[in-house]
Amino acid sequence: MTDDHKPVTEADLHAYVDGLLDEGRRREIELWLNRHPEDEAEVRQWQTQAAELKAAFSGYAQVTESDRTLLNTPTAVVATSSPSLWRRAALVAASLTLFLSGAAAGVYGEKLLGTAVTVETAAAIDSLPDQSKTAFLVYASEKRHPVEVGADQEDHLVTWLGKRLDYKLVAPDLKGLGFSLVGGRLLPVNGKAGAMLMYQDTAGQRLTVLLGKNPENAETSFRFESAGSLETFYWIDGSIGYAVTGEVNRSKLQQIAEECYRQFET
Amino acid sequence: MPHAPDQDARAKGVNPPSTETFENQILSLVPSLRRYSRSLAKSDSDGEDLLQDCVEKVLVRRGQWRGVNLRAWAFTIMTNLYRDRHRHVSQHPSVEFDETLGLTADDVSGDPLEKTRLQKALNALSPDHRSVLMLVVVEGYGYQDVADMLAIPIGTVMSRLSRARRQMAAHLAENNIVTLRRPK
Repeated sequence: MTDDHKPVTEADLHAYVDGLLDEGRRREIELWLNRHPEDEAEVRQWQTQAAELKAAFSGYAQVTESDRTLLNTPTAVVATSSPSLWRRAALVAASLTLFLSGAAAGVYGEKLLGTAVTVETAAAIDSLPDQSKTAFLVYASEKRHPVEVGADQEDHLVTWLGKRLDYKLVAPDLKGLGFSLVGGRLLPVNGKAGAMLMYQDTAGQRLTVLLGKNPENAETSFRFESAGSLETFYWIDGSIGYAVTGEVNRSKLQQIAEECYRQFET
Repeated sequence: MPHAPDQDARAKGVNPPSTETFENQILSLVPSLRRYSRSLAKSDSDGEDLLQDCVEKVLVRRGQWRGVNLRAWAFTIMTNLYRDRHRHVSQHPSVEFDETLGLTADDVSGDPLEKTRLQKALNALSPDHRSVLMLVVVEGYGYQDVADMLAIPIGTVMSRLSRARRQMAAHLAENNIVTLRRPK
């Protein structure tokens, strides 16, 4: 078998992924892919990506009851009285309220007033792994006050934090993996009361476990994110999101995350 | 071309359109316009806002419609609105939208972390790359259709599509998933 047909271009590979080829050409591309594993790997990646995008957005193509109200703009009326401007005015007003209430004063206030960005900007929240990394960086390096309540008061610690999270918190026992509890603290996660537990090994290497309320019940698989030498595993289980961060190699941290998952109640 | 836009047949020869026909046609396009707006936006509310602006503009500009392919015309208007907004927002690059607010109750079936991951990768694309990717992949337009809608050469469509796909792949590879049999 040779590549003696029309040469296969990158455009052909895209058209293959997008289902835009006729049957004959499609077969030729498939034969080509069989003989060119690098192209095949890329094409499979694009197919997966396309499937994910379709899955993520297809649900929005729905008829809703409010569709007809979208048409209620009197078209004869010029743009000055359009709902869009009213919406923007409302957003600016809402921004102003936020600004005056001090919720975002100094940080976002000026920018919100200066532009028509949406109100949710002011409430912008980092993702769970980002918050976990920040907590680790701030507290794991802390010498004198890494935690608010130490491991010597473990019962008090888990009762107190559990109450704030409205969840039966346990501090996982990680001694089998070489880490013992240092203690924990209350801190904001997703804008609500959350908890951080800290562990360290005999060499003083620390890791943190962050728990935050999740706005909706969900169950996810484990994910990891790397940032330099910092590894984070995170997942959501029921109403709580969890993230484990440490300067520990990934396979070790995965063991720790699995152990935490096993011991946390859902 | 596959995926022929579905409004052609009804739309042809109806110029100027009667109010009833035009508004009903717009109404029938709203679901796919909503999907497209959401695929360009950083959150559900941002997407709904873009949709409203688009429908409003389509209604205001109805006199400019040449009576052919209303769907493509509306998609072009939406794409331009999106690009203009992005330009406006990116003049203030320190202002970030919240991706997590895009996770509404509509899609509890999906994995919310997965959606956040995808949304982050999409937000890293430029508006030109993102709109081409969505028109092809999610809306099912052929490359020549996209070239016509955006008034760009087909070669530009192909290079944007290619760049978008590779950038997405690179971004998604950075934050990987470990799908475990969970140990409980």
